[in-house]
Amino acid sequence: MTKTKAIFSNFKRYWFLMTQLISRDFKVKYKRSVLGILWSLLNPILTMAVMAVVFSQMFRFKVEGVNYIVYLMTGIIMFNYFSQASNMAMTSVVENFPLINKVYIPKYIFPIAKCLFIGIDFLLTLIPWLIIIALSYLGLGDYTCHFNWYYLLLPYIFFCMFLFTLGIGFFLSCVSVFLRDVWHIYGIVLTLWNYLTPVFYSIEILPAKLQTLMHFNPMYQFLTAARSIVVYGQRPSFTTLGILGLIGVVTLAIGAFVFKKKQDKFIYYV
Amino acid sequence: MIKIENVSMKFNLEIEKDFSMKQAFVDLFTKKKKKNKKNDDFWALKNVSFTVDKGEVVGLIGSNGAGKSTLLKVVSGVMKPTSGKVTVQGVISPMIELGAGFDGNLTARENIYLNGAILGYSKKFLDSKFEEIVDFSELKDFLDVPVKNFSSGMTAKLAFSIATVVNPEILIVDEILSVGDIKFQEKSKHKMMEMIKGGTTVLYVSHSLDSIKDLCTKVVWLEHGKVVKIGDTEKVCDAYYKDQMK
Repeated sequence: MTKTKAIFSNFKRYWFLMTQLISRDFKVKYKRSVLGILWSLLNPILTMAVMAVVFSQMFRFKVEGVNYIVYLMTGIIMFNYFSQASNMAMTSVVENFPLINKVYIPKYIFPIAKCLFIGIDFLLTLIPWLIIIALSYLGLGDYTCHFNWYYLLLPYIFFCMFLFTLGIGFFLSCVSVFLRDVWHIYGIVLTLWNYLTPVFYSIEILPAKLQTLMHFNPMYQFLTAARSIVVYGQRPSFTTLGILGLIGVVTLAIGAFVFKKKQDKFIYYV
Repeated sequence: MIKIENVSMKFNLEIEKDFSMKQAFVDLFTKKKKKNKKNDDFWALKNVSFTVDKGEVVGLIGSNGAGKSTLLKVVSGVMKPTSGKVTVQGVISPMIELGAGFDGNLTARENIYLNGAILGYSKKFLDSKFEEIVDFSELKDFLDVPVKNFSSGMTAKLAFSIATVVNPEILIVDEILSVGDIKFQEKSKHKMMEMIKGGTTVLYVSHSLDSIKDLCTKVVWLEHGKVVKIGDTEKVCDAYYKDQMK
């Protein structure tokens, strides 16, 4: 109990630093750009537009009986969050070595700050995403996606995905201190992971064996749960929701455990 | 109060040697004899013990590489000692290196908040002390200029002003008095004196025996990671000076 209390008071103490690190990331990212933070909104809109054209018009991808554009966008924004946040969290500790070497700062701050930073971007992408869903009422993408009460479950699903991403980020940032090769390996892993997750296709086109294996892909679980609400208008089963929570918490616990075990050694590898 | 008990700090120099596939491949053919592993351990600190009582100003002296900076890092929590224990009561303000985390792309104003947050100040505190920092740094006209356009002197002035705006319970200082132009040097020296004489507990590293004699109530002389002498300022300083000039 006292330990949890200590964690919280520590968190409170460093919250201001966290906000400063996040706002630094934003300032540096949009420095000298005329549109500034608007790019956080424009960028996903334009990316989505490109993806929509490429997959639905050029490749003529389709998923039977659903609004493919909404199906695709939901997959893209969620997977993009995961890949960007985990990637930036991975490099965050090594990038801040000059700081770690000078002042005492709890090192877990860096992966968390990165996951939150990309998280804000993610929340901004939800705006164009919701607009696309609304446009389906006007006939965008053949089928209408109806807004429904189950949308209230989306924050929970996204939060579970956040925990999962943070766990991966903790683990990778820790390992990459000792073995910088991880940076290169993870780039490849992400590409593979992207294709092995039904972002722009439906799981039905895969061979039966792969379909069963797919259930062990956490990103598939997150995507499917969100899509069942948005695209199909159905509530994910409570078992599914429980599994999502479990995935998030367990991954975070493992990542945080490894990080905590090794964090005092970081300083030798500066 | 700072209590340092039997603190040892070991560095493994093996870590610094890059292991790579290329090296492994070359080694296959050159048949190098394996080096004695024991040589790779470097003890930056060995069984160092002393206490700094509340309100005491303790000077740390010793030649380059004696372990002074390592000791400061251990006390400020940047490093964990290999063995031994450090107990610190009170909030530490570490001035080991100034301007930690300055981001060249951000303006002076933004860096004040960023650096302040890194040093552990709260937003409220920074808001209330903002004017004081700016005044002391003499950089009022450059507040909205990115720090990367500053001269090194200006950056140092800004960093010093942020670091010294607090009244810490424990102050750890690693020779930073000489920053900026002559006028600022005098000003910063005065400020340091003020902080040190204000009743805070101080751990002070310097190569200037004059300033040590001036400020410290006790001196610890480190050499090769071991304590050579602890005690009265004059005596230890004189012994150290004689030893160095041999």
